[in-house]
Amino acid sequence: MTRPGFVLEVDRSTPPILTWHGEGFRLENLPAGRSRVIYPPEPLESLRDPDAAIREALASPLGDSKPLRELLFPGMRLTIAFDDISLPLPPMRRPDNRQRVIEAVLDIAAAAGVDDVALICALALHRRMTESELRHAIGDRVYDSFAPIGRLLQHDAEDPEGLIHIGVTERGEDVEINRRAAESDLIVYVNINLVAMDGGHKSVATGLASYRSLRHHHNVKTMRHSKSFMDPEHSALHSSNWRMGRLLAASGVKIFQIETTLNNDAFPSQTAFLQKREWEWSARDRASYVASTRALSLLTPRAARSLFQSIKAPHAMTSVYAGEVEAVHAETTRMVHRQQLVEVQGQTDVAIFGLPHICPYNVNSIMNPILVMCMGLGYLFNLYRGRPIVREGGVAILSHPTPWAFHPVHHPSYIDFFEEVLSETTDPVVIEKNYEQRFATDEWYRHLYRTSHAYHGVHPFYMWYWGAHALEHLGRVIVVGGNRKAVRRLGFSPASTIADALEMASDVVGDEPTISHFHCPPIMIADVK
Amino acid sequence: MSGQLPGAHSPDKRLPVTARSWAQARSGVRRRIRTASTFPLGSPPWPGTVELPPADKTLGVHYDSEWARSPFARRARTALQATVANPLLRALTSPSVRGLDRLAHFDEPAIFVANHSSHLDAPLILSVIPPRWRDELFVAGAADYFFDTHPKAVLSALALNAVPMERQRVSRTSAGRATQLLDDGWSMLIFPEGGRSPDGWGQPHRPGAAWLAVRSSVPVVPLYLEGTARILPKGSRRPKPGHVTVNFGAPILPPSDGDSRTFARTIEDAIAALADELAGDWYAARRRAAAGTTPPLSGPDATAWRRSWALGAARTGAGPKADSSRWPWNHRP
Amino acid sequence: MRALQVDRSLARFVTARVSSRPAAVRLTETPSPTPPGPDWVTIRPLLSGICGSDLATVYGRASRWFEPYVSFPFVPGHEIVAETAGGERVVVEPVLHCRIRGVDPLCSACADGRTNRCENLAAGHLAAGLQTGYCNQTGGGWSASLVAHRQQLHPVPSGWSDEAAVMVEPVACSVHAAMSAPPGAGPVAAVIGAGTIGLATIAAIRTFREDVTTVIAVAKHPEQRRLARQLGADFVANPDELRRAVRRATGSWILDNGQLTGGADVVFDCVGTSESLSESTAVAAPGATVVLAGMPGQVGVDLTALWQRELRLAGAYAYGPERNAGDRHSFDLSMQLIAEHDLGRLVSARYPLDRHSDALEHASHAGARGATKVVFDLRQEKRR
Repeated sequence: MTRPGFVLEVDRSTPPILTWHGEGFRLENLPAGRSRVIYPPEPLESLRDPDAAIREALASPLGDSKPLRELLFPGMRLTIAFDDISLPLPPMRRPDNRQRVIEAVLDIAAAAGVDDVALICALALHRRMTESELRHAIGDRVYDSFAPIGRLLQHDAEDPEGLIHIGVTERGEDVEINRRAAESDLIVYVNINLVAMDGGHKSVATGLASYRSLRHHHNVKTMRHSKSFMDPEHSALHSSNWRMGRLLAASGVKIFQIETTLNNDAFPSQTAFLQKREWEWSARDRASYVASTRALSLLTPRAARSLFQSIKAPHAMTSVYAGEVEAVHAETTRMVHRQQLVEVQGQTDVAIFGLPHICPYNVNSIMNPILVMCMGLGYLFNLYRGRPIVREGGVAILSHPTPWAFHPVHHPSYIDFFEEVLSETTDPVVIEKNYEQRFATDEWYRHLYRTSHAYHGVHPFYMWYWGAHALEHLGRVIVVGGNRKAVRRLGFSPASTIADALEMASDVVGDEPTISHFHCPPIMIADVK
Repeated sequence: MSGQLPGAHSPDKRLPVTARSWAQARSGVRRRIRTASTFPLGSPPWPGTVELPPADKTLGVHYDSEWARSPFARRARTALQATVANPLLRALTSPSVRGLDRLAHFDEPAIFVANHSSHLDAPLILSVIPPRWRDELFVAGAADYFFDTHPKAVLSALALNAVPMERQRVSRTSAGRATQLLDDGWSMLIFPEGGRSPDGWGQPHRPGAAWLAVRSSVPVVPLYLEGTARILPKGSRRPKPGHVTVNFGAPILPPSDGDSRTFARTIEDAIAALADELAGDWYAARRRAAAGTTPPLSGPDATAWRRSWALGAARTGAGPKADSSRWPWNHRP
Repeated sequence: MRALQVDRSLARFVTARVSSRPAAVRLTETPSPTPPGPDWVTIRPLLSGICGSDLATVYGRASRWFEPYVSFPFVPGHEIVAETAGGERVVVEPVLHCRIRGVDPLCSACADGRTNRCENLAAGHLAAGLQTGYCNQTGGGWSASLVAHRQQLHPVPSGWSDEAAVMVEPVACSVHAAMSAPPGAGPVAAVIGAGTIGLATIAAIRTFREDVTTVIAVAKHPEQRRLARQLGADFVANPDELRRAVRRATGSWILDNGQLTGGADVVFDCVGTSESLSESTAVAAPGATVVLAGMPGQVGVDLTALWQRELRLAGAYAYGPERNAGDRHSFDLSMQLIAEHDLGRLVSARYPLDRHSDALEHASHAGARGATKVVFDLRQEKRR
């Protein structure tokens, strides 16, 4: 039986609480009487036969869409777009949802006699995936069928030949997407909806868009008006994407959307304690906690990183919906909320976020300081509905080693952003005004994005904008256990322990502050009343 | 030497002493050993004119292999597989296994159905099948081949957990035993061709596997093995190391209407489609399967030489393992 | 009078080099030098700076190149603000060239006014010595008194502090470095090193080089970074950030082994080590000029880039009339620069002669200790 989320009021008998710290975790004592711990719901039951569920979803789509079989005909151009390496987190065990869905779609396409099929990884401005990452996502059979004949493509937001300008929305936003997709008789979009931000019109309007189109919603103004971007109803980011999606539909771009949701079973059974409530830890859980923290303390950061990056989550599919984008996304969002919503009463002065080893942009890579900021103030801070869990002017405490380290292949422009931009200013508005254009048009970044495995030159800016709402809302940000120089460069205050951080926080929010500890991962959404 | 004309000398005899004549001398030794195992040193042949005594009720299809599923025998088998059989098979066949992801959400007893062209097939499949099924799996072995003498029967039962089964039609004894085991939650490995292929092409399927699946309503997992015939074909005694591919298919549920004949055809088509996947790419194979143009495993309906000619052509896609060593160690452009 | 003196003592040089202590110099009582000719005057130092080349001498690391151009025992110190007998404050231009040595005819460089390129540093009536502070007849700044030729003296503008005045000589070196890159070289300059020379070079580029629009400075220490920025660097990089900074400024690419496809149009090496020179050639654009402003000594550098990219490696020593600035003298430009940027503030510590060990230690770790220019304060020194 799956228990819903839970908010624990900390008292004197509460055990110390597991707090993530990058490639590791610690047990932290929280002050009694004024602290609470927010726990996610337990993993939902998964689909017993996901393949059958997929076939069923394709045969009886939602909205005004016809079944997939009826949309396919010999001689057509079919494009299957799919989510990139940033989903899910941690990467799931094989077979990935994308593989299951794509194989089911192709099975129907084969029966319908479709020859002109292309697959596009909808990576927007993310890095191109490697062969092994693609094989993991879409499976060997699909890879071997399409990669050798050049029909497995990765979206290129900088290829003038490969993009097409569809039009301009009523708010003046350019809609420019992948040409192959736009000129197909049908786009089938295969999505994994890990958080409420994903999916819907954002899939095509962002995943297959160009920089010229993306900058209309990936900017400071939009992000400051997305409260939060994890809540599509109150997100300017999503309003913009929805306008673009509707323009696409009106322009005759046909999209058959397939969205899947996962349960939040994020860690293998050997480390079950990571997603258990501390007072329910068995002897075995305690032993594996002690053994793993000991073992991790012996590892070099590099070894710890490769160990953590090798984790494959036992995530299981909980639902699959197909058909018209908005109808599908409504159902998907309902499922995501069923898995992730936790009701929380009121805000607190301080929020503690333990940052795990992974965020959407460092799969098989390094969580650099900018990603630490984005994970803490972009993702975790925004995992709320209604109001943030910390009050305006409050303090966020992040726990992460924040190493001064960058992946040279994946994040070249991040290094420059950190060295040049952040040494001048941390104000998102100034950053956007003074630096974005130069980074976005730097030929070297463009070359690395298009031919290597680098994030686009402008991507670190987006990471910073992701935290713009939090930077405006918070009175102070404290990073526990981080590289002091790196933390200061981010404009945050370093602290060595949670206790020190709470002392420092009281300078801002007064003595005896109330505290929320966000017990994530697994991912959840705090529904703050 | 079977093709030699009577009275003619073997061409080797006219040659000077070379490596080849040494090989010939060696094969002479082997012939002598074989001679030694014939009468009077071996058991005498039974004259056709004399009536056979009643068959031994403890051998053939009557052989009771129940002991081979005792906890002790199971542990011994696991140990034998882990220490001897699997390392040996890996070295000999360097198998690449595909399609296991199609079983990721499947967690029931199943009947594994495969094409058959070599003695290596059963042990090889046992070595690559996930433990979920391997630990409780029996192999349908030809009653007249594996269970005709006590030593062979004991070895087959112990090493493979083989259960005797008739090739031609399933008798009540063996069918009853198999359904009983399936009902008890055991999985099964069966080669519905009824024997190893003589020429590398598939033979028509016998209906037993489909019948058992329908009878016990157990899903069938089709399997296609590519390459064992090159390593140890029928009639050969010395294996030649090579590369084998095992392709697992998605489980197929037996039809609810109980039509085992149609189901047998479904299984045969599924295995053919798995073979087609290996020859080209998966999507093209799906296209052919949907169009009903999957090349049959039984090969072209033609004379023997044209069949083996076609076989050579079909195999070029999956030859021996690609040479991974590069220049400067391997001077090849 | 009391003076810090360097003797011809192999034992002392070896000790200094091995122990990394300023052992080649000792505080001693010596007679004040007597003027060697009619045009010479006795002057009394007020402040006397410690320069990188002085440190190389006292730590026993100086190149043997200078052996013929010094005469032992000598009193070091060539960054001097002093007082004449008449009470006038002067700064000393220390090069001991033909005119000062009474050599006639002048060497071609001196005839041309470029006294820093003088060929007769060991000739004439004066003992060998390339500058005041290396010659046993003139004395040097690290003492209570020395002699100087009238042509060596530049009056200190009224209202100037002694600190500002003592900076005239070192800043003139930087001005000369900044002016020795060919005019119109290109818009991006990199300055490696943020000691006195580096910082003053940044200021000099900003004031006198209108053709340079972007200055990238390399500084290790926080105070250096702050000053570099104040003096006009557009971007201050850590040593390991330089290549990326130059790449960004020039829009070039970084190749797999870390090499740049393009680079800075002019690079000033104000450090003079193997590392700094390697880095300078690595970030220089094809056809660029690398100016050596710091005294290098013996270095090991891969010069493939120099050859393949047709780089120009240019030394910049001392001062003289600046061809790229209408033949105005470096000292003149230096005074303008000091006034404009208040460079007197670069003097961060003053020591009496008694504490010469501390002073030299401080100077040799100036950057790490938040200092730029360390000077001897001789204003309390007894005159005898």
